[in-house]
Amino acid sequence: MSTLPRLKPEDKCFPNLCGTADWGIKGYEQRGGYKGLKKLLQTPQTEHIEKLKQSGLRGRGGAGFPTGMKWSFMPQPKLDERGKPIPLAKPSYLVCNADEGEPGTCKDRDILRFDPHTLVEGMIVGCYTLNAKVGYIYVRGEYYDESSHLQQAINEAYKAGYLGKNILGTGVDCDIHVHLGAGAYICGEETALLESLEGKKGQPRLKPPFPAGFGLYGCPTTINNVETIAQVPPILKNPLEWFTRWGRPGNSGTKIFSISGSVHKPCNIEAPMSIPLRELIDEYCGGVIGGWENLQAIIPGGSSTPMLNAETASRVLMDFDALKAEGTGLGTAAVVVMNKQVDVLRVMTRIAAFYHHESCGQCTPCREGVGWVHRLMERLTHGEGTLAEIDQLYALTKKIEGRTICAFADGAMWPTQGTLKHFRHLIEERIKTKQPAA
Amino acid sequence: MPTRPATPKTKAAPTAKAGAPAQVVTSNVPPAAPSPASQAAPAPLPPAPEGFLNVFVNGNLIHVKRGSTVMQACTQAGAEVPFFCYHERLSIAGNCRMCLVEVEGMPKPIASCHWPIAEGMKVKTDSPLTTEARKGTMEMLLINHPLDCPICDQGGECTLQDLSVAYGSDRSAYHEFKRAVDDKDIGSKIKTVMTRCIHCTRCIRFATEIAGVEEMGATGRGENMQVGTYVEHALQSELSGNMIDLCPVGALTSRPYAFTARPWELVRTTSIDILDAVGTPITVDNRHGQVMRTQPQENAAINEEWMTDAARFSYDALHTNRLTTPLIRRGGELQPCGWPEAFTSAKTALAQPVGGILGAMASAEDALSFKMFFENTLTSKMYDCRPAGSQLEGFYTFNTPLIEFENVDAVLLVGCNPRLEAPLLNVRLRRAVIRRRVPVAAIGPDMDLTYPHQNLGNAPDALESLAKSKFAEVLKSAQKPAIILSASVLTRPDGPAILATLEKLAKKFGVQKVLQNGEGWNGLNILAATAGRITALDMQAKATPTAAILKSYQTGKTETLIVYGEDTILPEDIEPDTKTRNTKHQTLIYIGTHLTPLAQMADLVLPAAAWTEKSGLYANCEGRVQLAHAAVPAPLNAKEDWKIFRALSEELGTPLPFNTLAQLRSLVANQHPAYQAENWNRITRRTQTPTPNAQNPTPITSKPFQPVITDYYLRLEYLRQSPTMHKCQSEVATAKLGTTATPPTPLLPGKTKSSRKAA
Repeated sequence: MSTLPRLKPEDKCFPNLCGTADWGIKGYEQRGGYKGLKKLLQTPQTEHIEKLKQSGLRGRGGAGFPTGMKWSFMPQPKLDERGKPIPLAKPSYLVCNADEGEPGTCKDRDILRFDPHTLVEGMIVGCYTLNAKVGYIYVRGEYYDESSHLQQAINEAYKAGYLGKNILGTGVDCDIHVHLGAGAYICGEETALLESLEGKKGQPRLKPPFPAGFGLYGCPTTINNVETIAQVPPILKNPLEWFTRWGRPGNSGTKIFSISGSVHKPCNIEAPMSIPLRELIDEYCGGVIGGWENLQAIIPGGSSTPMLNAETASRVLMDFDALKAEGTGLGTAAVVVMNKQVDVLRVMTRIAAFYHHESCGQCTPCREGVGWVHRLMERLTHGEGTLAEIDQLYALTKKIEGRTICAFADGAMWPTQGTLKHFRHLIEERIKTKQPAA
Repeated sequence: MPTRPATPKTKAAPTAKAGAPAQVVTSNVPPAAPSPASQAAPAPLPPAPEGFLNVFVNGNLIHVKRGSTVMQACTQAGAEVPFFCYHERLSIAGNCRMCLVEVEGMPKPIASCHWPIAEGMKVKTDSPLTTEARKGTMEMLLINHPLDCPICDQGGECTLQDLSVAYGSDRSAYHEFKRAVDDKDIGSKIKTVMTRCIHCTRCIRFATEIAGVEEMGATGRGENMQVGTYVEHALQSELSGNMIDLCPVGALTSRPYAFTARPWELVRTTSIDILDAVGTPITVDNRHGQVMRTQPQENAAINEEWMTDAARFSYDALHTNRLTTPLIRRGGELQPCGWPEAFTSAKTALAQPVGGILGAMASAEDALSFKMFFENTLTSKMYDCRPAGSQLEGFYTFNTPLIEFENVDAVLLVGCNPRLEAPLLNVRLRRAVIRRRVPVAAIGPDMDLTYPHQNLGNAPDALESLAKSKFAEVLKSAQKPAIILSASVLTRPDGPAILATLEKLAKKFGVQKVLQNGEGWNGLNILAATAGRITALDMQAKATPTAAILKSYQTGKTETLIVYGEDTILPEDIEPDTKTRNTKHQTLIYIGTHLTPLAQMADLVLPAAAWTEKSGLYANCEGRVQLAHAAVPAPLNAKEDWKIFRALSEELGTPLPFNTLAQLRSLVANQHPAYQAENWNRITRRTQTPTPNAQNPTPITSKPFQPVITDYYLRLEYLRQSPTMHKCQSEVATAKLGTTATPPTPLLPGKTKSSRKAA
């Protein structure tokens, strides 16, 4: 097995992810932060977007949508006869999605508390690129301390002249506001986030229209994950190869992996994309408790992604396309490792309970169905139920998946489908033990 | 009787089905068959006409207007798409997921209600995926639904019930506990059974978007989501009853109608709401001769499909405190008697000088027979159809058709509260303000119109300062400005002067002008209290002002006074000094439907038919004449109004020249061209400008305008007879007091001075 070299600090987008150095502006500037910001703010926006497209940066929030393409959907001012830009009819907004609620995921949290200036700088560059004068950062309500760090970083940036009117004399204006959520997972869905930001009930909007055309307050809006936005300045500052040398084509760059569960050293680590899963666990996390042979299953990308069994886990690469080919997804790259001592069914029932609790209740299949799935899982896990109900459960997930306004129901059904795919025999066993007649 | 059996409301029809068959474009273009990559690419489609797109619905090529939704395309093609949450007059929520259809090339079925069509889109409404998606949604909707159709008032006209026949299963696979939800007390108009709710949010959207009261909402998340008012209280809207029609299930049903009838037992008659001046077309549902409920009909030009709460819930007045037999005063007490005795008694009284006052709810036939009775039989000019003090003359209607309020771009309200006087007009004004940001200004007391507006002053002298104000500029620059004056303003002594000033201003500010397209525009409007007031004025049932008639009766010049359904007269207007009354030998004859306080004072009471019991023509504020059919017979010995006058005239020896309703109706048509059958249901212009009134020189005073209506639910005598309306009014009082305790409901309909003024 080939072992990829560990990233050096200068290769990383988040050199202080482990929190050993100063997270304030001094420490950030020592690490090279805000250097070259002025130049970025004087480069034409279209060049930025073009470079982002070439870099192959894909959204780090779970869906993996190419960021450069997403940003190119935003309106750019047209030029008049004399080559001067005509102001846009409506203001544009950049919204940062820091409502990190996916079970298993904790990467944004470490960015916010140990390297908040990476996000602030990303917001400044992002707002400039998207012609937004105002950026919003929607932080998960539970991240109170983290939002304090972020707010402090913003205050420092204002003081240093990186934010506000006429940043560094470039004529660029940018203000950033931090908004704390109130504890709903669904507010991490981009349109629900916008609703919540507008002061309404956090429920996803119908798409189309997409936020790039009709977003916050009806204006063009781009919503990106913390990690995505924070990775933009290093990508734009460095040569293209600095980012594209990592990972397979279409999955380039580095990525923060949050590894938890049955490993010796659970951690958040920035590593190259397309790193083999086994290498990630063995090299960075001290391996599976009880050895690789003791591995039962792995959730590769947060609770919404279907799990992998041990056999697949030992050969799969950690990137968007490789995991998609295995019927699952990279998601937020939150790897949850379960060894053979873990009751997988109990874990999956708990995950079903999470989605049951977090469904917003707007549209029918999710509102009514997610609770049903949870209850069925609960019963089947305890061996109560019939064998026919296993098939019924699978059919049920298929009636919910893909029938709703947002992707929540899909994410809620995939883990259950993954369980039925890999651990159907466990459920059957339990039913037969509990009810010998069955 | 032109009745038809009750059928499920067409507007609540469960499926979007085009009336016309699919406009299938015959074309040799291959249908939407997925072709393998090996085959040659299909020939490009010939372009659709300008502004249209090519869309395949189930393989048939149709041309659909650009910007349409997939559901509209399916409707155009005649393909069935079921839905719950979608409603064409509300915003699109897309949350019921019943309208999912398969579109070729899309990974998932899409919600057709909001998805825009695209060129060459291939929609499949009967594919296995579509059907399976609908069945899945229906299963989800039903797992927590109580399925208590046998005891549900919606049963028989329930969208969920209808669609479950098509897409539901005959047994449930759900073996967990069903959810139960606490019922919410949202007032005496709407009964809630929230366990039945399918969370389509139509009621929330209606309250927020149409009624303009943000009182309904959803609390909780996921399957704990509940629709309600958060803190339970009675909905403070004059339109809340429409939520009952909108609710696709039995979660919101009519409280007064609860458990009284089943839809299939009802006989439906078309009629008109005559309780305000909008003239909402409605249906009156009766069972065995008793009115069980009233519901709106759809008419885009008048009411869209809404109806006011006063009209919807006041039908219990039809069987409360009714006059069912003539009453005669014997020994100081009113006692029942037969019609012959009543007529004999009337004959004696009518031999003396007679005055007559007509009320607010008369049909054209009533008004004309009343007028002819005075003109032909009594040869008296002492009659009027206006409330005391009213100086309405030739100009008493709208010059702006209601539907034109969709284009009006500046509105001035003078002494007028459209929210309470004509709630459905207010719906249009609200839409103009919210959607098109039309500036609205009011001269009059402060009021909550459910939309932002500017108050230019409380007294009529604000009209003088209006010329210099910014709003004058707004009116000037507007393309289609409108001024709405409440008819109640003309009961003020300076009313005609206000109207004359308004007309001057209207000319000056371009409210009356010729538009660029050559059409005339007249935005000066008078909002009458009820349709009956307009109808009676159309019939010219006025000769001497009411105030003069009352004075003449008080001074003894007029010996006999006929009060015909008039409800703005206070008992003290009739007799200022009760002690002197008996010595004067005066007679008060009351013709009407209810034993009102005035009827209790009368010497002779003749029972007439209520509005559901007679066929009549009514004009609305824009001058549109509509026919209300008789739904039920008048109770016991009560008679249709025109028959009473016809019989009285015969008794007095000069019979009126009609023997049948048809003969009377032809006389009505002669009286005013709008009442000719070919002009029904269309706007016929009345006098468009006020008549100059030189006799009344009272100048504009600075006396502030009084609120036109203080108690919306009790503003007419008819409404005051309805127990439901009293409950509704007490809920308004509770809300105003800000307490949660329910004040005691008055058992007997009472009167207040303010409520009389309103009418």
